[in-house]
Amino acid sequence: MSLTQSALGALVLLPLLVAAVTAVLPHTPRRTLGVGTALVLPVLLAPVLWSTAVDGDVVDLALGGYEPPLGIRLRADGLSAAFLTLSVVVGTAITAYAAVLPHSTGRRIVSPPTMQPEGPAGPGGGAQPEPAEQAAPADRPGVWRPGHPSFWPLWLACWSGLNAVFLSGDLFNTYVGLELVGMTAVALVALGGRSSWQAALRYLFVAVLGSLLLLIGIGLLVSITGTLDVLQAGAVLADAPEETRPAAVLALCLITVGMCLKVALVPFHTWLIPAHAGAPSAVSPLLSALVIKAPVFVLLRVWLWVVPAGEDLAVLTVVLSVMGAAAVVGGSVLALRQTHLKPLIAYSTVAQVGYWFLFAAMVGGSSSGSPEGLPGVDITEDDVVSSALVGTVAMALGHGLAKAAMFLAAGFLKDLYGTDEMDRLRGVGQHHPGLVMAMGLSAVGLAGLPISLSFSGKWMLTTSAVAAGHYWAVVVIVIGTILSAAYLVRAIAPLLVESEDEGTAVEVPEWQLEHASVLTQLPPLVLGLLTIVAGFGGALLGDLLTVGAPW
Amino acid sequence: MTEVVSTVQWYLILGTVVGIAGTVRLMLTRDLMARLVAMNVVGIGSLLVLLALGAAAPEIDPVLSALVITGLVITVAFTGVGAVLIRRIEGIEDTQEEAQEDAQEDPQEGREDEDGGERG
Repeated sequence: MSLTQSALGALVLLPLLVAAVTAVLPHTPRRTLGVGTALVLPVLLAPVLWSTAVDGDVVDLALGGYEPPLGIRLRADGLSAAFLTLSVVVGTAITAYAAVLPHSTGRRIVSPPTMQPEGPAGPGGGAQPEPAEQAAPADRPGVWRPGHPSFWPLWLACWSGLNAVFLSGDLFNTYVGLELVGMTAVALVALGGRSSWQAALRYLFVAVLGSLLLLIGIGLLVSITGTLDVLQAGAVLADAPEETRPAAVLALCLITVGMCLKVALVPFHTWLIPAHAGAPSAVSPLLSALVIKAPVFVLLRVWLWVVPAGEDLAVLTVVLSVMGAAAVVGGSVLALRQTHLKPLIAYSTVAQVGYWFLFAAMVGGSSSGSPEGLPGVDITEDDVVSSALVGTVAMALGHGLAKAAMFLAAGFLKDLYGTDEMDRLRGVGQHHPGLVMAMGLSAVGLAGLPISLSFSGKWMLTTSAVAAGHYWAVVVIVIGTILSAAYLVRAIAPLLVESEDEGTAVEVPEWQLEHASVLTQLPPLVLGLLTIVAGFGGALLGDLLTVGAPW
Repeated sequence: MTEVVSTVQWYLILGTVVGIAGTVRLMLTRDLMARLVAMNVVGIGSLLVLLALGAAAPEIDPVLSALVITGLVITVAFTGVGAVLIRRIEGIEDTQEEAQEDAQEDPQEGREDEDGGERG
């Protein structure tokens, strides 16, 4: 077993192990171990990324030496490496943020006897609870305090699950990893205290329904192909007799619907807004940047690697791309109508999800029968799909970086000022130049302006849409870009503009300003910068994704 | 042989019907506990489908049985989390009840708070 292979296994198993250990430790060692894990994972990622991106090899590890179909196989091809990099980069940044600012990890009930002696000294001291929550404790002994130590085991287990999904070589581990992600994500949302429990429960129902559909889909694929391994199943299905085709298509439909539920594609998006907006400040960026990428990854895997494309998928691809287009436009319009920062960013996620499903149209083939017969241009079906894949992955990664920065910044402002209502946050930008800079950079990334990674993604997607003759997709992308620029300006402009009426301006409580140290502004700023800088890696991403590609 | 196939089909249909009935109930009811039960019904429906698929082959497919067992374990885990959340949500409506719960949880919560307090 080579060093790279060990790193592959450790990427999944190390966070899981640390999660189990932290569960029995008090809070401070939990933080230390969490930060330690976040420092080790990039080191483990490096050899995996090196051998996929530079050497162009697919890294493969059969755990325990058992080969498929019996054993568990971890496999890192280009697609895995791309998503894994996102998971490690964003995960490390947010772990750093949560460690520096434990307030951002949620809210918990404590009893007055232990709370009162240290109440005045503690920075929280119940000053942050929202009015509805402040009223309740009067007639009960529990008092809400910021910070929740359960964040650490839950987040580390979630990280392990994400890496497991991205590295899984078989469908069964994909399912288990996705369940681990779903379960911990629900619990992470619930850390937000009383107001977020309802949202967490709703998320739980959606997550379970989605997973069960995935499970049936996988079961169908197993009953046709007799194997769980992604590559083997793909190979069997490619030569499968005609009569098994309807079952394969049914499995694809079930998996697609299940994943659409989990990724909150319109019209299944309603659960996402309260869950992402109500989650604690350190959790929202994780949910938006990483957790919803896992189902996207599964969809790409199943659509491109397992079930071969065919004429009979035409209806499904049309439905998906129409839903994607509806999400882009509808999500953006709804984002424009929000008065609070975090719901606005959550609706922006709904809109961004739509872009990734425009991909379905390209997989479904060109609308004009064959790729455009422009003189001197020779475009094959595979070129269209591969450039659409690069575009979609670039947009998903760009969204991950930008949205993590955006949610971190918005969550920080909400924690500091006790509100995320945009009218009340007027002019706060002068206190936090770094934070607003991070939001500005991530807004450039989210809107897909040049030179961000999302711009490369939109460019590739548009190119392949034109090549396939889907001109409507270009219109959707342009409308979506304009609308997203509009709602992002709406979100950031109030932060920069002084309130006209001095009386309504929010004051920063003295004791809280000391927490607005440079250190807490660093993770959003780094992520914001990466959104832009990663745009230069667009071409590299194209090369990376050809490693282990099905064409 | 035809009889075996029809038995499998019968269970496939049964599983599908149970699953759809559970899904409809899950979406239409507001009662949280009923939704949790409906979620389990969907789970049972989908596991029936998987078992029927496993029995469709001449020899029972152990992989599908493994999927069913994993599905069961995960559904139980999610039901537990859901039940805790429902108890807390409905506890809000009855503050008296919640006060008692908090009193029971005090020792542990208090200890965690000390850790938090030192840092703060």
